[in-house]
Amino acid sequence: MKNRDVSFWLFLTPVLVALGLVVVVPLIYGTIYSFTDWNGLVATKFIGLENYTRLFSDELFLNSIWFTIKFSVVTVIILNVLGLGLAILVTRHIKTNNFLRTIFFMPNLIGGLILGFIWQFIFINVFGDIGKALGIEALTGWLSTTATGFWGLVILTCWQMAGYIMIIYIAYLQNIPKELEESAEIDGANSWQRFKSITFPLVAPAFTISMFLTLSNSFKIYDQNLSLTNGGPFQSTQMVAMEIVNTAFSANEMAYGQAKAVVFFVMVAAIALTQVYYNKKREVDL
Amino acid sequence: MRAKHLFSKVAVVAMIIGLFLAGCSSDDSNKSNNSEASSGDKVTIDIFQGKVEFKDQFEALAKQYEEKNPDVKINVKTVGGGTEYAPVLKSQFSSGDEPDIFNVTGPQDVIDYKKYLADMSDTEAAKAAIDGTLATVQDGDKILGLPFNQEGYGLIYNKRLFEEAGIKPEEILTFEDLEQAVEKLDSKKDELEIEAVFALPGKEAWVMGDHLANAFLAPEFDHDVMKAFESDTVKFERGKEMKRFLDLQNKYSVQPVLSLDYSQQVEEYFSLERVAMIQQGNWVYPSVEQMDPEVAENIGVLPIPVEGFEGSIPVGVPNYWAVNNNSDKEVVEASKKFLDWMYTSDEGKEAVLNELKFIPAYEGYDTEKISDPLSQDIYEYASEGKTIGWIFAGYPSNPWGTAVMGANAQQYLAGDMTWEELEKDAISKWEEKRK
Repeated sequence: MKNRDVSFWLFLTPVLVALGLVVVVPLIYGTIYSFTDWNGLVATKFIGLENYTRLFSDELFLNSIWFTIKFSVVTVIILNVLGLGLAILVTRHIKTNNFLRTIFFMPNLIGGLILGFIWQFIFINVFGDIGKALGIEALTGWLSTTATGFWGLVILTCWQMAGYIMIIYIAYLQNIPKELEESAEIDGANSWQRFKSITFPLVAPAFTISMFLTLSNSFKIYDQNLSLTNGGPFQSTQMVAMEIVNTAFSANEMAYGQAKAVVFFVMVAAIALTQVYYNKKREVDL
Repeated sequence: MRAKHLFSKVAVVAMIIGLFLAGCSSDDSNKSNNSEASSGDKVTIDIFQGKVEFKDQFEALAKQYEEKNPDVKINVKTVGGGTEYAPVLKSQFSSGDEPDIFNVTGPQDVIDYKKYLADMSDTEAAKAAIDGTLATVQDGDKILGLPFNQEGYGLIYNKRLFEEAGIKPEEILTFEDLEQAVEKLDSKKDELEIEAVFALPGKEAWVMGDHLANAFLAPEFDHDVMKAFESDTVKFERGKEMKRFLDLQNKYSVQPVLSLDYSQQVEEYFSLERVAMIQQGNWVYPSVEQMDPEVAENIGVLPIPVEGFEGSIPVGVPNYWAVNNNSDKEVVEASKKFLDWMYTSDEGKEAVLNELKFIPAYEGYDTEKISDPLSQDIYEYASEGKTIGWIFAGYPSNPWGTAVMGANAQQYLAGDMTWEELEKDAISKWEEKRK
């Protein structure tokens, strides 16, 4: 890295300034505010760790964390399986390859809010009508129970993000040298063995990336949550981001919400970093 | 050679930074122009309001005022939809970009923004305000806000269906009357071609937590929002009545109630005449009218039966205009003048009734001209003093109404909570907040 001369830093400065202004400074300010009784307009006194100690007996907050963790585990698994599956499908030599890629990627272009409302319609009206017509009780009243709300969110998120994850896997799949596969085939490896011993280890870097993306994304979900269930019924499908927003803006407790946000930040950062560290270790080079 | 190389790099970077800064600063220069204009011959009033439904009409009204008063310029900024407004207003104040006229909704807002609220007691509008509409914004002799309008709610019913079923709405006063009427409607479902009597939107926590609970809790606080705001506890004196009424709606509603939302309730079921009654307020009128103007002509509002207050409906002021005390003196004066004009001049009144379609919160309006039948009904109830207090603005800000009471009601409807548990939990959360 010899080229880190003056111009290197000069070129980097605008980005660093922007990053500092919109990420670092608010983070510092927010952390400071979380130790006060700030209400959004004025902070009158420093109350130490009170906000933080309160938070550990806040049922709603703990519930939302638990709900988010469950949701993340399920979506991360489904998304990666689905993403890799789709990627393998569209890297085969099928005629409609490009068409399929476009179709799978498309949901990712629609904003989360709109998607949420569309799926709300599907879950409630379409499912409901089909359920009524066929007499299947389980299809009516979707999103009105905690379980269906949970799966509704999972389906929505997977439908939206699978195409994006697919693109990442495609990039890595196409980089696998054909000779490897061919020689393995000549050696008599069947397709499952080829997948397990060649494809899978070589797309490991893609796992690192897409695990990171899906993990951090499912932890941070807000708009889909807002438009699909709005936390209902009875706040049981409320994710952490939404709980924090509600604390800060509906309950009018800015500082307390800020404390929750700090805890949330530390949690997501810790999980994401651990994940990247372990996945990196498992990657193999050619 | 090397120095030259470096120089060209530096030049490029300087240019990029220059562009970056230019992008930032263009905004500032605009602003300084504005403030120059306001200190000169023109006064600029920045209005920041949160009622999306009347954005266009309100802007037209401001234009109309500008034409009559060439020395005033009004900028209207609208950010909408209930909960969106409060955080944006807060960030505007904390960023220093303070509006001159803004909205406050309840007692908590009045306390939070107190140092910004100008005294409005010298305005014509404040003097014309209907008794009781200023309770939330009064501070000693000072009046810190002006009511937008009045709103009221009850059971909105379809007159045609009632007639065909042979029910006289004016005879429904007590809970028993209502129960009988509901049973009659239910028995004639097929004839009337309706799916159910009610559409109870269990998905909307505010319908049960704010509105429904308000009707039965108001008597406990003497119908006074400030009493509720200052109360350390809530007793659910009329908890049984509340349960009874909710059960009735649930029993005769389109199912499953928990996935039914506001727009389905109003548009799909009520406007298309698939149910006979919904618990809502005068704000549903435009939606019903859009769906089916014929139905809209044929609807009215029935009171929610509260023992001892039969024939009364909850009416209140959802929003207040506040003028920023921090603004320049002439801006404050001009702002007050504008609000006065809007609510007390003939042109203003005309617009309030016909364009904004408000139920006025001020005296001196020709009630015949109120735009729709629902609002007329409600103005009648209000002017005859047949009202139940509008106290949910005084609930603790959990927000207790939706996050506690509403959520508990949902759990009750889902069968996850008994009514006793609901009351107990709601009481303890109220007390917790008021400690």
